[in-house]
Amino acid sequence: MAYLEITEATKSFGAFVALQGVNVSVERGEFFTLLGPSGCGKTTLLRAIAGFNDLTSGEITVDGVDLRRVPPHRRDIGMVFQDYAVFPHLSVFNNVAFGLKPRKIPPTEIKTRVAAALAAVHLEKLADRLPAAMSGGQQQRIGLARAMVINPRLLLMDEPLSNLDAKLRIELREEIRDIQKQVGIATIYVTHDQEEALAISDRICVMSAGHIEQIGTPQEIYGNPRTRFVAEFVGTLNLLTPGAATDALVSGLGVASAEQWAIRPERLALSEPGDSGVAGTVTRYTYLGREAHVYVDTPIGNLAVQIANPGVTAASAVGDTVSLRVDPAALMAFATNGARIGTGR
Amino acid sequence: MTLRLNFWTIITILTWALLAVLLFGPVGSVLLSSLYGSKGEFTLANYVTFFSDWRFAQSFLNTLVLGFGALVGALLLGFTMAFCMSRFRIAGSRFLSLLSILALVSPPFIGAYSWIVLFGAGGVVRAGLRSIGINMPPIYGLGGILIVFALKFYPFVYLMVSGALGNVNRSLEEAAEGLGLTPLQRVVKISLPMVFPAISASALLVFVLAIADFGTPRLLGRGYSVLATEAFAAYSAEIGSNFSMGTTISVVLILVSLVFVALQRYMSRRNVYHGNLINKPTRIQLKGWRNFLAHVVVYVVALCGALPVIVSVYYSFRKTNGPVFQDGFALQSYQRILFNLADVVRNSLTFSAIAVLLIVLVGTIVGVLVARRTSLNTSLLDAAFMIPYVMPGIVIGIAYIAAFNTGAIVLTGTASIIILSIFMRRLPYTVRTTATALRQIAPSLEEAAVSLGYSPFQSFLKITIPLIVPGIIAGGMLSFVTAINELSSSLVLYVGSTMTMPVRIYLLVLDGDFGTAAAMSSILLLLSGIAVYIAFRFMGRDEQALL
Repeated sequence: MAYLEITEATKSFGAFVALQGVNVSVERGEFFTLLGPSGCGKTTLLRAIAGFNDLTSGEITVDGVDLRRVPPHRRDIGMVFQDYAVFPHLSVFNNVAFGLKPRKIPPTEIKTRVAAALAAVHLEKLADRLPAAMSGGQQQRIGLARAMVINPRLLLMDEPLSNLDAKLRIELREEIRDIQKQVGIATIYVTHDQEEALAISDRICVMSAGHIEQIGTPQEIYGNPRTRFVAEFVGTLNLLTPGAATDALVSGLGVASAEQWAIRPERLALSEPGDSGVAGTVTRYTYLGREAHVYVDTPIGNLAVQIANPGVTAASAVGDTVSLRVDPAALMAFATNGARIGTGR
Repeated sequence: MTLRLNFWTIITILTWALLAVLLFGPVGSVLLSSLYGSKGEFTLANYVTFFSDWRFAQSFLNTLVLGFGALVGALLLGFTMAFCMSRFRIAGSRFLSLLSILALVSPPFIGAYSWIVLFGAGGVVRAGLRSIGINMPPIYGLGGILIVFALKFYPFVYLMVSGALGNVNRSLEEAAEGLGLTPLQRVVKISLPMVFPAISASALLVFVLAIADFGTPRLLGRGYSVLATEAFAAYSAEIGSNFSMGTTISVVLILVSLVFVALQRYMSRRNVYHGNLINKPTRIQLKGWRNFLAHVVVYVVALCGALPVIVSVYYSFRKTNGPVFQDGFALQSYQRILFNLADVVRNSLTFSAIAVLLIVLVGTIVGVLVARRTSLNTSLLDAAFMIPYVMPGIVIGIAYIAAFNTGAIVLTGTASIIILSIFMRRLPYTVRTTATALRQIAPSLEEAAVSLGYSPFQSFLKITIPLIVPGIIAGGMLSFVTAINELSSSLVLYVGSTMTMPVRIYLLVLDGDFGTAAAMSSILLLLSGIAVYIAFRFMGRDEQALL
């Protein structure tokens, strides 16, 4: 049995079903991410684990203990909130020490543990300040230290970085990752940002409309999506236009009943017109510095091609004729119900 | 869990019981009393009399004229002031704000009397003008009441509208400018609609306060009768006192207030704009005659509004011989209060303090109930608490007499009845501010405390309570200002031993002893000022909270 085990979790709000029979298991020390668009049920699941909303039915156990029988404040679960939830009337030190007091920890130990937690999030110099005037990044660091310092059985994070600016988001997610690995607390992380999920997780659970689409490592989720929803939600996806040209392209792959063929932009390449491949015309060229996106109109669709290291001179201009090289192994086929049937990698 | 549920159920029941005894009961008694004749028979005769008697029809009309006149005057002064202060750089703007606060917390109707001292039949200013050959009419009558009302009530409009004007995104006006609108068109087509909810809310408040005001028309009216004065006259007439006529007038007065509250709610419901505040408005520096004009306007309005306060403080230090002022300054008026009227000051302080303690205690608990236990029950409760908003003080007074004069609970002539009437009138404000403050605290704060090992009740005590306490103390202080200045309900409810400062001032003014009245007003003003200062210390300088 896994450390955290969620079985057939179901939650309905009146007629709306937010979770329909979700099964998840998380190992000790694992960084597990719930990824999905808003309304997919990821926050509902997280809040059910924390105890803020009870499930309609289902079971949640940690280390064999049935959590649903434990009131929220006895669950020993650390939580980091989207809006930081830092207590504005307490100093940084007292915010972090807040959870240690009901645990009857002697004052000297509180001091050392809070100091260590603050050092881990680089806030040791601000211990005596009030958090009100601090930046979002600093406030979330307080939130993180406060949740960790109680050595909880489980750490829950509800979109902790979504209110921060892009650069800080990347910086802080690396720190969260490092700290979590150091202390080894099993962590459930909720986000709608696929790049964040890929960067930070041991395993990702992609959710949609109250059910699980796929659970896997970041590599599996991105490189081997099991459903069209996962393939489209994580990364970008070119959908091929059905027709004679597409049929010709995929005829040798041995997948007969595909509803939709697709390919990732970075698995396409451009070459000189006349080379082998699909002929097309450039309709747009977007330069992004470390990469460029070239949109090419071809018989198999208007496809985005991602070019790494585009260099200092524009590689192509609107109206150029080019040849599109398609690696057949990179093609993905999806059935009518959205399930993946092709095996391209 | 079941225990907590029980706790809140008990609180809900107690709240309804409180409302039943202190609000529905008295209002019901008023209604009932108006429907019975002198022999205890059920009759609509009182209403027939009201609507057929020329005298009542006239006072009904007068009330509306006064309400709308005050509304127009206060809007004109208040909006001009708000616009100038929020859009132009005005030197000494903090001083001007202070003057408007002075006007706001000044004891009731002392304003009217100060104007009489200056512009009345024997007024100082009129006499001065007459000596240089200018004859101006005395301030009595409708015109005088309206001038006093406009200057007394403009701070409500000023504070509410300037708050709203400060929240209009500047980009909107810049966009209008870019589209080719002239400055005047921008104000009329963009700024005015954006602050309309604030304007209509403040207009309503002025209307309701103006038709409830009893002292000003009584002193300045010289025969200009309104419903509030008629109700008091019907109640208090030594000979031929007609209590059921008093309650009939009260019911009409409540209905008029209700109609306007409903109207205002209907108007502002469709006009609430939520803008972002990325681009806050800035104040521009006017040049030349425009700058001069803006300064003259705001200083004249603010100084005239605060004039009664200045006059009464000045006269409180004047030397007197009996009720007659002499040349020079002395502390005689204060000595008289100290030696003869100390019990009145003590009454006011104890009544207000007890009322405020009750208001804070009950108001906070009920506020939590309203904010946290949302259900049909609590939204009904929220609505029930609107009732005291529209109840003029004189009506509350008459209602309490009607309810507690006979029957199960007899309170007339006690201090309790005055304290309870103040408590009931101010309770809704505290309930509302507590509920608003609680709704502004992110639920994640308490959840964070729960996740850290505190039970929900401990989380509430350790996190939520400390966060709302400054607001509660500030609200309590502002309730104290209202409580200690309360005149009209106390005037109906007092007996010799329970006389309060505003009642004493009213009687002193009627007796013509302006020196003592001025001194007592100054003491009242000082007490109010201290309370406002403490409130501002706890919540930051926020004039809006005074409304």
